[in-house]
Parts: sequence; C-alpha cells; structure tokens
Amino acid sequence: MKRLLGVALGILTAIGGFLDIGDLVTNAVVGSRFGLTLAWVVLVGVVGICLFAQMSGRVAAVSGRATFEIIRERLGPRTAGANLVASFLINLLTLTAEVGGIALALQLASSVEPRLWIPVAGLAVWLVIWRTKFSVMENVTGLLGLTLVVFAVAVFLLGPDWASLGSQALSPTVPAEEGAASYWYYAIALFGAAMTPYEVFFFSSGAREERWTAKDIAESRINVLVGFPFGGVLSVAIAACAAIVFLPQAIEVSSLSQIVLPVALAGGKLALAVVIVGIVAATFGAALETGLSSGYTLAQFFGWSWGKFRRPAQAARFHLTMIVAMLVAVGVLMTSVDPIRVTEFSVVFSAIALPLTYLPILLVANDPEYMGEHVNGRATNALALVYLVVIVVASLAAIPLMIVTGAGS
Amino acid sequence: MILGDLLDAPVVDSSGRVLGFVVDVRLVLDGPVDGLLAAPRVHGLLVSPRTGTSFLGYERTGLDAPALLARFLRWRHRGSFLVHWTDVEVASADGVRLADGYRRWSPAIPGVAHQRP
Amino acid sequence: MSPRLRRSTRPFPPDETLPEPVRPAGLVLDARLHLLDRQTLDVDDVPVATVDDLEIGPPGSSLLAGTDSVFVTALLSGPVLATRIFGGRPPASRLHRIDWRHVTDVGTTVRLGVHGDSLDVLWVERWVRDHVIGRIPGGRHDPG
Repeated sequence: MKRLLGVALGILTAIGGFLDIGDLVTNAVVGSRFGLTLAWVVLVGVVGICLFAQMSGRVAAVSGRATFEIIRERLGPRTAGANLVASFLINLLTLTAEVGGIALALQLASSVEPRLWIPVAGLAVWLVIWRTKFSVMENVTGLLGLTLVVFAVAVFLLGPDWASLGSQALSPTVPAEEGAASYWYYAIALFGAAMTPYEVFFFSSGAREERWTAKDIAESRINVLVGFPFGGVLSVAIAACAAIVFLPQAIEVSSLSQIVLPVALAGGKLALAVVIVGIVAATFGAALETGLSSGYTLAQFFGWSWGKFRRPAQAARFHLTMIVAMLVAVGVLMTSVDPIRVTEFSVVFSAIALPLTYLPILLVANDPEYMGEHVNGRATNALALVYLVVIVVASLAAIPLMIVTGAGS
Repeated sequence: MILGDLLDAPVVDSSGRVLGFVVDVRLVLDGPVDGLLAAPRVHGLLVSPRTGTSFLGYERTGLDAPALLARFLRWRHRGSFLVHWTDVEVASADGVRLADGYRRWSPAIPGVAHQRP
Repeated sequence: MSPRLRRSTRPFPPDETLPEPVRPAGLVLDARLHLLDRQTLDVDDVPVATVDDLEIGPPGSSLLAGTDSVFVTALLSGPVLATRIFGGRPPASRLHRIDWRHVTDVGTTVRLGVHGDSLDVLWVERWVRDHVIGRIPGGRHDPG
C-alpha cells in the first residue's frame, strides 16, 4: 500500500512538475497564432523527454553518475566545456524566466508591481533551496502544480467547436495568415519547451539526491511514462484555451494575464484563483529545479562536492554557485526585461544546445562498464537514434529560422 | 611531464613522414607498487589519422550499440594503431618521433572482444 | 576543426588487419578513456575533483622516450584544465597534485584512500566554506 502511494505520488508530482513558464508561454502563444496545428510537436516532445529522462535516470540510478559528469567523461574538457557554457547560460536564462513568472503570477493575484515581487520571489526560492529537504520541495510544488488541470477543465467549459479543434490537431496545415518559417520556428520552440536540458540535469541529479539504485528503475519509469504524457495533455489544453479565445480574434498572446484569461472566462474568479496558484507552484518548482541545475552542472563538470543531501558547508562551491545565479537572475529582472520574451528565447536556445547533452547519455546508456545488464534494449536504441536525428535537425534549423522570422515576430 | 602534452601531438616516423596523431596513452598497472595499487606504466601510444571523437574509444572497445553510431564512429577511426612506448624515440608536446623499425599493433584493448566493421 | 590527415596523405591502407599485441600482465587502462575527466571520491565517498590531467615521470622532457620505466606519478587538477582546453602550460608551482599512492581503485570513479580535507586540491572549497557558506545562518546544519 505504501509502495502504491509512493508510485501515485511520483506520478502526480511528475504531472505537476512537467509544466513550467516555458510550456505555459509557448503553448499559449502557439495556440493563439496557430490553433492546435502544432499539437503534434507536443506529442513528439513528450515522447522525447520520456525517453531522455528515463535513460538519464537509469544511468544515474545504476552507475551513480549524474548527467554532467557523464558529459565531461565522454566528451572531454573542450566539447564538454562548450556545452557547460551554453547549458549554464540557458539555464540562467530559464531561471530568470521562472522567477519572473512567479512575480507576474503574484502580480495577477495582488496587483502589486512585479518589480516588488521579484526580490521576494528570488529570496523565497533560495531559502527553499538552502533549507528544505529535497523530497518535500519536489512533492509540494508538484502537487500544487496539479491545479493547472483547470486549463483542461476550462476547455470543456468554453464549449468549443470540437470538430474544428480536432481537424487542426489531426490534419495540421500552416494557417493562411502565418508563414511556413514562423510555423517551424514555433515547432522548435515547443519542442525545446518540452525537452529542456535542465529537466534532465535535475532529473538525473535528483536520482542521486534520493539515492536511487537499480531497484528504483521500474518506479521511476512509471513516474515518467505516465506523468509526463499527462503533463503533455495539459500543455495541449493550454494551447486549446488560447486557440478557442484568441485565434478567432487574431490576438497574439504576449502577457501572463492573457494566458489565464480563457480560464477566467470559463470558470470565473474561483478558476482564476486556482490557476494562479497553479502557475505560482509550477514556476516556483521550476525555479527550484533551474536554480539547483546551475549548481549541479558546474559542480559536476569540475568535480566539486554537490547535493542537497549534504549540509551546505559540505558543498560550499555548489551553494555559492546557486547564490550567484539567483542574484544574477534577480538583477536581470530588475532591469524590467519582459520575462515572457526571456522565456521565448530560453526554449529555443534549449533546443539548440540539446544534442551535446543527449548524445553522451545515449552512449553511456549503452556502455556495460557503467550500466552492467541495464544497458539500452534494441527498441529503446532504435527510438533513441530516430530522436538523435530529430534533435540534431531541430538544433541546426533553430538559428536560421530565428533570423528569418525575427524570433517569431 | 604532463600526459596532456602528448594528446593530439603529431606522430612522425624516423624519415619525418606524418603517421597520425596521439589520441590516447595506454597504461598498464604493472609498475612498482605505489600505495595500494601498482603504478601505471606508460605502455604505448594510440595513433589515429584524426583527433576528433577518438576519445569515445569505439575503435578500441567491443562496444557495438547503438549499432549505427558505433559503426560510424569505428569507421571514422579505421587506420588507428598502437605503438609500444619502447618504439618511441622522442616524445614532447611538439610531437612524437618513432624509432626505426617500429611496429604497429591492433589498437583493441586486450581482453575485450573487438569487432571489425 | 580538429587536426586530421587528409585521406590522400594517409600512410597506410585503412582496412589492413594489424597483429594483436601480447597481452600485458597488469590491468590495461587507456588514459583518456578510463582515467582523464573521471570523478575522484575520497575515502568517505565525498567528491574531491575531476582528473584534469596526469603527471608522468621520472622528471625530464623527451628523455623518457623508449624506456620501460615511465610511470604515472600523480593525478592533476585545477588550473591545468585550462591548458587542456586552450593549450599552453601552467607553471609547475600551480599544479595541484594527488599522488598516485592515494588511489585505491579505478572504475567509473577514481577512489582515494584519504580524506579530502588532507588534500591541497580542495583549498578553494575550504576557503568558500569558511568565509562564505559556513557563515550564512543554517549553512552548517542538515537541510530541514
């Protein structure tokens, strides 16, 4: 019974933890401009992150090596160092976006200017990283994030034209008023939002934090394979809400208040309150994950002591890194950059950097020196190679498309 | 000296012809006991026509999965070989010169099944 | 682009079968494949550093070649990493060494038989602990 509860809890936190500011913003923007014609990308992204997270979790559980240690070991200092610089900066960008997201959500709830909320949000995130136990942190934000289910409820309450939504999703075509380049640019953004490298850094390091062993593989696989697809369904629901409300009016979503407007229209004040709780939880949870990931990546590359299971004094450089990252994120936000724009860039850069993180994990997941009998099976490898191609193509296409489309505008 | 000095150094034979680059250094734990383990003796150099991706070692291990990637990486480093350290005349960061009559050996790590492409 | 020989200048046919060398008596490790860039753990399983480079001796530069008595004497860490990335050479005084005699096992990690606190490579970690992290309230307690 206790084990069943553990599995259920794991699945629920995976659902709640799947969504972050990147998924919220990208799906809403895409929904308002392209309807559900890009819903297939969410499917591709969810299968990809399931595959990738499952591999990196298995590698961490069996070999005890977290993702960035593997990257350094396999790619050597030069290539891994380039990956470190890219991943660390993207992670910092994502952390900035998430903290900004917390502030924007609190602004919706309180009408207090976000710049007053930003330092509060940054301090709160750091305090949780500093003092709270890993499992508590994971479960609380994950479970509260589940309230984002209200997006799915709102789709039904809005009473949409199901036939039209269905045909958008099932036989996608580029909408007449949008160019093909924009369509593919946002396809890559959605892919990057679903498959962000930080999720993998966090997931594999988390496996070490919670001291997984080979025995925990089955449970982690269920969490990922059930939880993430449900998270993907919520992503599509966010896009659907935006598609129903904004697409007919040709309004492009560009603020958090627009993202939650369909929910308020459908369910009134109560639904609005619930969705704000959900967004605060989701962005807070993701801020914790990206904050920790900044420490994980740097510490694992240089071989420093790391982990929340240690006292901060026993992982001093790890904690110092996270403090500095948080100060930078808060500092950037105080210059009044728009967190929504930061988010849009962070998801595309995530897609660009992905191959250098994906390849080493794939190689090590096949190496019996690390994995013993738990190496990848044939089916996993076949799928993993297909995804290697997808990831490389998305990475190479991202920058040209970004230039051609003026970053999607 | 530092082992990193040798990595990527060009390798020439006694007539000055370039044979490739040092991609790795083979060590054998059979030196005098130093602490708990034997000191690693420098046993030989692994030489490949190209330096990129050799650190993945697919041309030396029996690793064959994922099959397509393993085959590609091994193909890229065909032509790799091992020379024994006793056949090395000069070794510095500027380059490695092999002695007259040096011999080339299979780069496979002994004890693991090596598969040809 | 990393250096390589052009196909036309390659000295040997690419598909020849080379003889297998005699198998040495001791454990075989390829430095880059099995030792460099691996994590070192101290006797309590606490991460110490990544193996950034190896020191080989006896001291001397090119005199070592051709003999059967060149050994790895220490693992190196710290500024030497920059030289592996960008090239060049750090002054010998700035090398942080972990003597080979401290190594107890080489696997997917390199295990040491000593406490990290007794090693020079960790001075930055100790400095940050004593001057920054240890001074923040809660820094020396287990997480709640």
